[in-house]
Amino acid sequence: MTTLIVIDQAPYGLWAGREALDMAFSLATFDQPVSLLFTGAGVNWLRKGQTPDAIEQKSVERNLSAAPVFGIEQLLADEASCQRYGLSPDELIDGANMARGSSGLLASYTNVIFSN
Amino acid sequence: MKLPMSQIHTLHILNKTPEHPRFNECLAMMGPDDALVLTENGVTALWSTSKAALPKVFATKADLQARGLVAEANGATSVDYPELVDLTVQAKRVISW
Amino acid sequence: MNEQALPRRNNEGFLESANEWTQAVAQVIASEDGIKLSEKHWEIIEFLREFYGKHEIAPPSNRLFVKAVREAFGQDKGNSIYLMQLFPGTPAKTACRIAGLPRPTNCL
Repeated sequence: MTTLIVIDQAPYGLWAGREALDMAFSLATFDQPVSLLFTGAGVNWLRKGQTPDAIEQKSVERNLSAAPVFGIEQLLADEASCQRYGLSPDELIDGANMARGSSGLLASYTNVIFSN
Repeated sequence: MKLPMSQIHTLHILNKTPEHPRFNECLAMMGPDDALVLTENGVTALWSTSKAALPKVFATKADLQARGLVAEANGATSVDYPELVDLTVQAKRVISW
Repeated sequence: MNEQALPRRNNEGFLESANEWTQAVAQVIASEDGIKLSEKHWEIIEFLREFYGKHEIAPPSNRLFVKAVREAFGQDKGNSIYLMQLFPGTPAKTACRIAGLPRPTNCL
């Protein structure tokens, strides 16, 4: 079984994305193959240089940097969404990669879960 | 048991109202061997104008009851939670929208 | 340092703020669990503090704690038995409590 968790909402405004991240960590805890796809406004999770101290939140950029340590397989950024939000490949955080054509990607996992 | 015996390729679980962008994304991805389960606020779709476009569709009983709705009148099959689990087991793949 | 002098903690004994942690605080919290901190303990505690500084998250479960230690120190230390001996109970919880970090989110 392979799982893809899709985050399509911007960070910091809502809790939904963090819950999705928790879900990914829980799957990794039990050695279940899991990857994360960021699409739509969700690609803003992957922008380098986030400093949310003044809004008193933890940095999702730093949280995501723990993903490879915990065994999360891939951090994927939908390429078309990145273009829409002005994100070039070198502005993505370390470990994240561009993915082309997310609907084909959705079809290649046994389980796809959108964060709410 | 009124659930179909034929294999479901992808089971789409949709908890969004028709106004949510993901509602149309879900319908656009549905193939001929796929099935749709409406849950939570997704069940309101059975009463919205867009229901004509809905394919093979199920809706969770508890969510219908909570909103004073009945499924059968609108061409959907209501399922309880154990039946929902059966559907996810029957399906090769599941997408939770 | 005595109990009264400890920084604010929650009902499970975790510090409210990781910034208020000191080595002396660690020793008091460890003694509540009957643990006398050795070099081996400090190695893991310092690792956890660094991990938290870098990722702003503690390993969310015991298995991920073991995994993270294994990545950093190898199989000899990155295994449940070693960590269980140092930090009895649920090692991730016990170690995070002593290291002044928030409670691991997915530990029961």
